[in-house]
Amino acid sequence: MLFNSLQYLVFLPTVFLLFWIIPQRLRVPLLLVSSYVFYMSWRPIYGLLILGLTLGNFFLVPFIARSTKHKKLWVGIVVALNLITLGVFKYANFAAGTVTDCFNFFGLTVRQPHLHIILPLGISFFVFEFIHYAVEVYRGKPVVTSLPAFALFASFFPTQIAGPIKRYQDFIPQLGYPGKFKWEYLDQGMQLILMGLFKKVIIADNLALVAQAGFSHPESFSAVDLWLITYAFAFQIFFDFAGYTDIARGSAMLFGYKVPINFNLPYLAANVADFWHRWHISLSTWLRDYLFIPLGGSRGTRSQTYRNLFITMALGGLWHGAAMHFLVWGAYQGILLIAHREYGRALEAAGVAERLLKSKIYHALSVVFTFHLVCIGWVFFRADTIAAANQMVLKMLTAPAELLHFSLRQLAVLQIRDPLIFPALLLILPVLMISQPIVNWLNGKRFYQSPPWAVQVGVMVALMCLLTVFSPDTSPRFIYFQF
Amino acid sequence: MVPAKSASAAADERSLGNACRVGARSASAGAPARGPDLIEQLISSRFVFAAVAFALVCAMAATVSFARAPAWQVRDKTWAGWAVRDFLTGDERPQVVFLGSSLVLVPVATVDANFLGRRLDGSQHHRSYYFEHGIERRTGSSIRSFILALPGQMPSDAYLITDYLLDGKKTPPVLVYGVGPRDFMDNLLPSPASTDLFRCLSRFGDISGMLDRVMPDWVDRFNYRLGRCVYLYGMKEELSCRAGQALCRLLDRLLPVPPGVTPYTVAHRREILPGYQMGGLEAGEAFFRPHGKDELTFADNIAEYRKRYSTVRWDTFTTQMRFFAELLDVARQRGIHVVVVSMPITEINRSLIAGYAWDAYRNSIHVLATVKGASFLDLDGSGAFKQSDFMDTVHLHSGGGKKMLDMLADRLAADSALRPARPGKRQPEM
Repeated sequence: MLFNSLQYLVFLPTVFLLFWIIPQRLRVPLLLVSSYVFYMSWRPIYGLLILGLTLGNFFLVPFIARSTKHKKLWVGIVVALNLITLGVFKYANFAAGTVTDCFNFFGLTVRQPHLHIILPLGISFFVFEFIHYAVEVYRGKPVVTSLPAFALFASFFPTQIAGPIKRYQDFIPQLGYPGKFKWEYLDQGMQLILMGLFKKVIIADNLALVAQAGFSHPESFSAVDLWLITYAFAFQIFFDFAGYTDIARGSAMLFGYKVPINFNLPYLAANVADFWHRWHISLSTWLRDYLFIPLGGSRGTRSQTYRNLFITMALGGLWHGAAMHFLVWGAYQGILLIAHREYGRALEAAGVAERLLKSKIYHALSVVFTFHLVCIGWVFFRADTIAAANQMVLKMLTAPAELLHFSLRQLAVLQIRDPLIFPALLLILPVLMISQPIVNWLNGKRFYQSPPWAVQVGVMVALMCLLTVFSPDTSPRFIYFQF
Repeated sequence: MVPAKSASAAADERSLGNACRVGARSASAGAPARGPDLIEQLISSRFVFAAVAFALVCAMAATVSFARAPAWQVRDKTWAGWAVRDFLTGDERPQVVFLGSSLVLVPVATVDANFLGRRLDGSQHHRSYYFEHGIERRTGSSIRSFILALPGQMPSDAYLITDYLLDGKKTPPVLVYGVGPRDFMDNLLPSPASTDLFRCLSRFGDISGMLDRVMPDWVDRFNYRLGRCVYLYGMKEELSCRAGQALCRLLDRLLPVPPGVTPYTVAHRREILPGYQMGGLEAGEAFFRPHGKDELTFADNIAEYRKRYSTVRWDTFTTQMRFFAELLDVARQRGIHVVVVSMPITEINRSLIAGYAWDAYRNSIHVLATVKGASFLDLDGSGAFKQSDFMDTVHLHSGGGKKMLDMLADRLAADSALRPARPGKRQPEM
């Protein structure tokens, strides 16, 4: 069941109404049943997977808390069980393919076994939540004693498929709050849902056409076109995932629950480290807490820290998908983070760091430069293979030479008049780019934080009209569903 | 890479412990406000106010019929859109209308391409010149034909065409309906309402009475009902089409195609965006071409038809057969003489269909045609067609098509039902 489907348009209001009508003691069971209905509407059999993992973690993690001598062993067992499940369902085909490729590389002809494994939706997200729970209990946090509450933590339908990755200490206490309905839940929740749908259906789905054409046929486009297409993908993935997160947060808000934010104007980041503070925040904090820090974090030598950074980001890349180009994307992010640290050290050594960081021009240039570095990374993320990504990046690097004798005749996007999003890119991309600093500026203004009542109503009515008219009959799945 | 510590670190562990026993908490704390309080809060809710305002906008738009246009004016660039628009905007009443799927369209149009000696644009070519010529040659009277046979057409689509379009001034005396087994047992079709043709034709009338049959999935029915209740949603095709046209004009002014550069052709766009508007058809995109005997090749489409016939879905079969029967009823009520043509297919294709399904299909169309007063022309059982008459396992090529149209013209020339359809004057060539 997709958030932008008619099924969800029936499902969500039904659960919402039931939730606030029934006695409070039945609400967690209601949400639990609803969440399983939501999950099993895709492939009923995979309901057993999430149920099995829930029961396994619920009954095994208390052993971590109780054990005095074998805490590490127990946490190792629980984490391993979760990772093995993830590995089997997500990486088995990839591993088989990689091993086969290795054999073939050495001249041993081996046929890749075809494993009929379908990736369960959301497995990467709920497995990470289970691991977080086990590690936190290992670190001394209390265990959850209510099975329904724990089961709901993992299966809560708004965040079940693509996060945000929740923390049980934040989520589970909310289930016990005295639940009196407040109209602000409805107002805030629906605002977020409408805004999320707008981001997904109106912006991301249209930009998706550009990315699809450009990344599957880079040879048909000039270097400048390819940059425009990469910008389009950068905004597509942002609005797709940010839209999903808004809908997830809005849906949770309808029940009075808060789930963490995932984005904070990521394309205004002034460096790559800043970007990861702003992009997919729930994942980056998870990677920090449960991978980077256990690996040693920044506590060791410089080279050890860099090693830890690189491993964290490379594995973070692989988490996005079982394919080499995701691994390369992650490794690229790791290298950028290391390079950023080295650059910072060099500036400090030269004694110019403070002066430069205060300069607005330097800051603006840093934002532009970081955005372009991130965009190059997106090419590896979106391309089907590393070879295709390399081909595209190499062509994009010739853009400066192309710009020297640039004419509009070179732009293929102007020659494609249907779909209209291609020529419209030249208008839309500047608007999307400028909107980021404007929103950043507005965020500091009081009238933007709590706009007048009439403005809020007007925006909601406008969004309803736009979504009603321009929602397509079929919409592509959210990009992060595949992870 | 190291974001600020999340709020989780500061979580109140005691409240967590309590919350973990949430199942044991007492009930009823969450009852919403009642009475005047509730109404006051309801009115002050921004979302409720916005929803009411949105409903008012829809009601006002419905009152003034905002953006409503005749169904044929909607710019629907599909096979159906072009044909229906041409049919309704043409001045003349055709004497013979062809219905059916590509089994009918392909041979009829390719015969014309050979007959006229030039390629024919699929979006524009809606007459059978060869057939008209054949009738004139046999009877001395000229007639006008119109091809409403369209790719993928099912009996449910043919029924809508008959019911919504073949009426009043556009009622033809004769309807030639070519059917094949695929029309009644296509596994790849989710529901009758899922074809482009049905979507296009459903704008011309009210399909509420047949919803259960054409939309077995509740989501489709809900979507349809939503469109009937929420005016803007029901008009979204028209509105998004108009918005697209306005945006197109704006872009042509602000960002025109640079001089000396040719815009992408449909074929080129299809290469880079194969999934975009798959059912669409632009002018100049698909042509029926003349070809000699040497150029004919046989294409293997067995895999496709194996999927279509893999399991017999009796619900699809009975639904489509019911539409077929209703089509014959509607035609009879309007005085249209129907000639049901059992279209020939190859032995290879027939072998993919289960024996009992084949028998059910054959018997049903024959019995229904007879009972409903239609003529039945059994080309499939005639033994006149060999595999060499086909371009793949089901579609006749121009040679086979010529044979088919000759047999049809022979039959119609001798058929008394066609007599009122012969005004006597020859129609001008295209």
